[in-house]
Amino acid sequence: MRELVPEFIARSLEEAHVLVTALESRVKTEESLAGKLALKGGKYASIRDVTDIVGARVITFYSDDVDKISALVQKTFEVDWENSVDKRTQHSIESFGYMSLHYVCRIPACLYSDPDFPELNELRFEVQMRTALQHVWANMYHDTGYKSGLEVPPEHLRTLNRLAGVLELADDEFSRVRARINDYRRKVQSLVSDGNFDEVSLNGDSFRSYLALDPFGSLTARIAAINQAEVQEVSLMPYMGALRYLGCQTIGDVERLRVKYSDLTYRMTVHQIGQTDLDIISSALALQNLCIVCVVERGGGALELEKLFESIDGPSPYNASRARSIIAFIDKLRK
Amino acid sequence: MNIKINAQGNHYDVILEGRIDTTNADQFQKDVAPLMAGDSPEIDIDCTGMEYTSSQGLRIFLMLQKSVNARGGKMVMRNMKPQVKEVFDITGFSNIIKIV
Repeated sequence: MRELVPEFIARSLEEAHVLVTALESRVKTEESLAGKLALKGGKYASIRDVTDIVGARVITFYSDDVDKISALVQKTFEVDWENSVDKRTQHSIESFGYMSLHYVCRIPACLYSDPDFPELNELRFEVQMRTALQHVWANMYHDTGYKSGLEVPPEHLRTLNRLAGVLELADDEFSRVRARINDYRRKVQSLVSDGNFDEVSLNGDSFRSYLALDPFGSLTARIAAINQAEVQEVSLMPYMGALRYLGCQTIGDVERLRVKYSDLTYRMTVHQIGQTDLDIISSALALQNLCIVCVVERGGGALELEKLFESIDGPSPYNASRARSIIAFIDKLRK
Repeated sequence: MNIKINAQGNHYDVILEGRIDTTNADQFQKDVAPLMAGDSPEIDIDCTGMEYTSSQGLRIFLMLQKSVNARGGKMVMRNMKPQVKEVFDITGFSNIIKIV
């Protein structure tokens, strides 16, 4: 059961594309079980009444993911509501402390059953769900207060509880920041897809949204047609640095470069590749050559081209000779 | 075209010499087959003696690079002659394969 429970949880998280910081499981040690029975023995008629002999814990990045995971756990297992508890809602408005969601569950027969072990579906286990910060606090509290066997002075407990309040605020703030970032991404995607390029500054998110529109697709297709070449798809994201080097601050600036230099780029590439029988190209070739044409058309020389190559792939002993060879090639074309 | 492969665990030192073109691309593909197996391979290809590669050669390098990526490994090509590097540059393959 210790292996089955996290396996089912992991599968369900994966299907729902939920990322967590950790998924742990444990079987209660004999010593810990004996301690629990000694402390609360009257509560249990049989060992089967102890609901957390097997326990799993899901630790999330964000507090709102705890609710999402609780929904997945409800969908996956049979929840024993009578013994489940949401510690997050048990604090009065002026108190802070342990925040975690505990579900006592069974594995339903429709999910998994073993004819050699039919009681498996009757056994209960506990799933704890909490954020990484709640987890840190719970561990600190566990070590310093609860279960330590020593009475902790109230001022220290008060400090721990004040920290719980701070961490609750931090958890809320992390969730808020994530929501704001997601809102920003959606806004950028919508501006880009609506063609409002000048309103969108050039950054990783906006460039990715712009590339999703395949702006260099038609130039790539024209270039591929020169030698009836196969196009090998690669990411164009490394070119964001090159476009910044070319002075692009918004997606609108990138779009203007594309419109202005596409024909010249095609003509240069015809001369470059049309004289060979090379029939395979990378999908980055169009943007690579567009950047080269832009530098040269603005009056840049070998040094500026070398810097361009550096902005794409970093420093390389090849950059200087490649830049000189391209300048020589273009000079020859101009003559 | 000559190829020498020196394997030490998951590290492969490869020395390429001559031209890779239509006449020997099939043989080249067979020669690199040992590099297509094993976890996390580290493949270092010395191109000092390589004179030329055609599209067929590029396809084999691409296949090798994809296989290495899929197995969580690394591949670099080094010491390319200018005319060989030019083939990688004008096809945009310098964006796909790490050349040092």
